[in-house]
This record gives sequence, C-alpha cells and structure tokens, in this order.
Amino acid sequence: MGARVIGLGQPVAGDDGVGIAVLRHLRELGVPGGTELFEVADATALLPLLETPLPVVIVDAVVGHGAAGEVLEVDADDLGARGAGPRAISTHGVSLGQTIRLARLVADGRGSSRIRFVGVTIIRPDRYGCGLSPVVLAAVPRAAAAVLARIER
Amino acid sequence: MTEKKRTIKVELARVEGEGSLTIRLKGKKATAVELRIFEPPRFFEAFLRGRSHLEVPDITARICGICPVAYQMSSCHAIEDALGMKIDGSVRALRRLLYCGEWIESHALHVFMLHAPDFLGYADGLAMAKDHLDVVRRGLRIKKTGNAIMTLLGGREIHPINVRIGGFYRVPAKNELRALLPEIEWALGAVRQSLTWAADFPFPSFERDYELVSLRHESEYPFSEGRITSSKGLDLPARDFDAHFEETQVPYSTALHARIRGRGAYLCGPIARFNLNFDRLGDSTRDAARSIELSAPCRNPFKSILIRLVEIHQALEDARRIIGSYVPPDRPYVEAELRAGTGHGCTEAPRGMLYHRYTVDAEGMITDARIVPPTSQNQRTIEEDLFHLADVLATLPLEEATSRAEQAVRNFDPCISCSTHFLDLRFERA
Repeated sequence: MGARVIGLGQPVAGDDGVGIAVLRHLRELGVPGGTELFEVADATALLPLLETPLPVVIVDAVVGHGAAGEVLEVDADDLGARGAGPRAISTHGVSLGQTIRLARLVADGRGSSRIRFVGVTIIRPDRYGCGLSPVVLAAVPRAAAAVLARIER
Repeated sequence: MTEKKRTIKVELARVEGEGSLTIRLKGKKATAVELRIFEPPRFFEAFLRGRSHLEVPDITARICGICPVAYQMSSCHAIEDALGMKIDGSVRALRRLLYCGEWIESHALHVFMLHAPDFLGYADGLAMAKDHLDVVRRGLRIKKTGNAIMTLLGGREIHPINVRIGGFYRVPAKNELRALLPEIEWALGAVRQSLTWAADFPFPSFERDYELVSLRHESEYPFSEGRITSSKGLDLPARDFDAHFEETQVPYSTALHARIRGRGAYLCGPIARFNLNFDRLGDSTRDAARSIELSAPCRNPFKSILIRLVEIHQALEDARRIIGSYVPPDRPYVEAELRAGTGHGCTEAPRGMLYHRYTVDAEGMITDARIVPPTSQNQRTIEEDLFHLADVLATLPLEEATSRAEQAVRNFDPCISCSTHFLDLRFERA
C-alpha cells in the first residue's frame, strides 16, 4: 500500500511551521511501512511530489477557519484557491489549492487521485520567530493522529 | 467640492508574502502610494548574533523558500571576506552553477505562473493553464531543470544543505553533472520558443529614468561577484555599500526603504542587470534577445518578463558551459582560518542585489549582521512607478485599474516574506 505525507511550512515563522512540526512528530512516532515523508517550504515544490500513484496527505497551517489549534481534515479540492474555503497559509507565489489543481491539470493522469489535507488553524503570523505557540503546539499530536488515521485507513 | 472615496480590496495571491498597497488619487494625480510589507531579514539579523559563522549559510537559507541560494551565497562571500578566504577553480564554478539553478527555477515560476497571466488576461496561472496547457507544461519543465541542478548541488531543492563556508560538503562526480545536459539543451530551445511567444504580449507604454544598480563583473554576467555599479556613475566594491546606500523608516511599514545617499530611489534586478551588463551576456543569449529586438537600453518595467526569459537562457548557457568543462576539485571546500574581522558580500538574487555584512570574533562567532534584500531596495521604486502610473489608473474602471496596479507590482517579482501570501490592495479615489 503506502502513502506520501507532505508537511508544508516555514519553521522559523512561528505557527506557520506547524506542518513541519507534525511531520517531525510523525517521524518520532514511527509511520507504517511504505509511508514517505517530505518537508517543503514552497507550494510549487509539491508539483513533482503529487505525481505519484500513492495517496497523499498534505499537512499545513490554516487561517480563516475556527479557533487557533483546531485540527481539520478536508479533501484537497475543498481548499480555497482564492478566498473561499479554509485557506492553507504557508505557500509562496502560488496557493496550495491552486497548486493541487494545477498538478492535476498538468499530470495528465499520472498524479495521485487521493489527496487529503490536514490543517491546523493558526492566527496569521505577523513576524518571524522560532517555535510554536502553546495552543498550536498542543494540536501537533492530534494532527499527527489524523494523518495516521488517514494513511492506515 | 464633493468628495467621493472608493476602496477596493483584493487578494494578490501571486506575490509572495503579506503586505498591502494603498493608492490615493485626487483627480488623475496620486496623492499617496504606500506599500506596507513585513520584512523577514530583520529577525534573522538578531537571530544570527552569537551563532557560529559555519551556521550562517544554513540559517539564512531559511529566509526565503524561493531564493535560498542567494542568501547562502551572499552570506558565504561576506564571511569568507571577513576571514580573508578566496574561492576559485571548480568550487567557484559549482557555486555559479548552483546559482544558475536558482535563477532558472525562480524566474520560470515568475514568468509562466505569475506574470504571464497578467498579460494574457487571466486571474492566475491555473486559469491560464486551462487555455495554454502546453505553455504551462513547458514553463514547469524549464523550472524543473533548475530544480534538478539545485537538488544535485544543494542536496535538496528547497533550503539547500550542501553549501558551507569555503565551498560544499560534497561535490558531484562528472557523470552526475553530465546527466543534466540533455534537459539543459531542451530548456535552451524551450526558452527561445518562449521568448518569441512573450514578445507578442501587449506591453503598456511606460518608461522611467531609473537609476539602475547591479553588480558588474570584468568578464561574466553578474551572479556572485563584481563591483556595484549604477547607470548614474556608481562604481564601488561591496565593502563600500554602507557608505553609498542608506535605509530609512517610513511610518506605514515595518520594512526599511533603501536609497542612494543624497539621491533617492534606485532599481535593482533583471532590468538593471540587463542594461548594465548587456555586453556580458553569452553570445547565444545575446542573439536570443536580439531575435525579438530586445537590447539595452530597455527601461520599460513591464518588459522585465522578457528579460527574465533572457536571464534563464543565460543561466542555462552558463550551466552547459560549466558542466562541459567540469573537473572535480581535489577538496570540496577550503578550510577557514579563524580571525576577527568584518566582511561584505553582494550577489545577484533573481530579484536583485542582495547585500550581507557580518562581523566575526576570533572564535568565529557572529557579533553583528546586516542583510539588505532586493525587495527592500526596490520598494521606493515600486511606489514611484505607481505614482507615475496614477494618471492612467485614474482613467480605468476600478477592476482594470487594480489589475494594472498588481501587474506593475509584479514587474519587480517582490519577495515580501516567507510566511504568508496575500497583498491587500486599496485603491482610493477622492
């Protein structure tokens, strides 16, 4: 079977690094055999990573949805490309929602057909800083559990 | 007089970072243009103090997900300057090759996914891909060529980890580099094809007498080395940067605005490099530019999309040359001999000149750091461009005026921060 888990984020931009923190937590916990873990900081770097027959789970920070620390799981197609829906935050130039749609368009059938998104709600960071806020840090194990539940399903 | 104020707010999802732009118009004249951005390097300057000089390239690479190599190269050059090191031969060539990879991938992203949609009337690259899938696929494959170079030399595509003071932790074998050549050859043809495609874009008629600032090397198109030169007479080594450039605070933004002391705003980046170094382009790249009747002088910022394509071609031409003559060095890096001192490094990030200054103590610990990124240097010029465009913007319907203003900002490919990705644009008419 197997799965590909991708954490998006900027570890030195405070809570924006939560996607990376979840990935690192998963490494410590251990993941089922065949699971690949990737960290990326730029959404466009996802394009080649989404060209896989494996199911993909993307983990990222989210703004505009619920209270800080809330973990949500949605289909990648429900991510807001430009305004609507939960908005993944740690993307650069091209949004995560756009990148996933673009990957599907250019992959010509070679892309993953099962892309899920696990988000952790944060307050939009206004400056750089190391480490997560307590409420977002507390959400890391719950987000990791959501990822594990998805790839073990 | 009746006053009418209208405000629109848009998400500018194709500019990296978070910020806002407000344009206030009175009649056809702009009364204020304010670009507010959050600038990350300031945090890093404080963060670096007390760290080992060996950590600096890896830490500064974190400043930007799109141009980490630029931060690594400027920091390496500055620290090596402080320690009196000189890097040459194959290690120097490999550094240039790594920088080529970053220029290719960064410029390709901007040209095909961010800027081209403006000219063709699409909201974004995704919308453009639905009608121009072949072009987008071509652009992404060009980008991937740059990413492949970065992955091989940097250890990974994003935030390379193989760069160190004095060189690299590991250098590639000849056959590893040669494996990149077929895709580089393909990309050279694809860029020439793209130049012909982009040359037909509807470029707004707009030119300004910018003071252009870029590095100039004695024989190469500038990447990592050269003197700081300008179209109005500057010609100085990197160590004199502080004597000729200053940064000032503005009340509406946390970012500092750079200016030439006693003169004012200036422009760095592709247009500056192209105009000041047209004679340093490789033969085939200069021919490619001339094939679409593009040469220096070119002072229309909207044509920066063409110049970025020319610079991708230059980076590919350089990459092919470096790989063709590559002989692995005896050692992947030069060992540093510690001493106290201050060093300066100035290199050309895809967006423009990036200046670093570090002071190290006798144990190699950083005691002072200064980073001046290209977006900070271009901020004042971005605002001045909007000022000069105001009379045109005032005649356009709001939606069109907003798009044109966004496009004008994107001419500079601003890298505003690495944490969020929205620019709120306010367009106010009084």
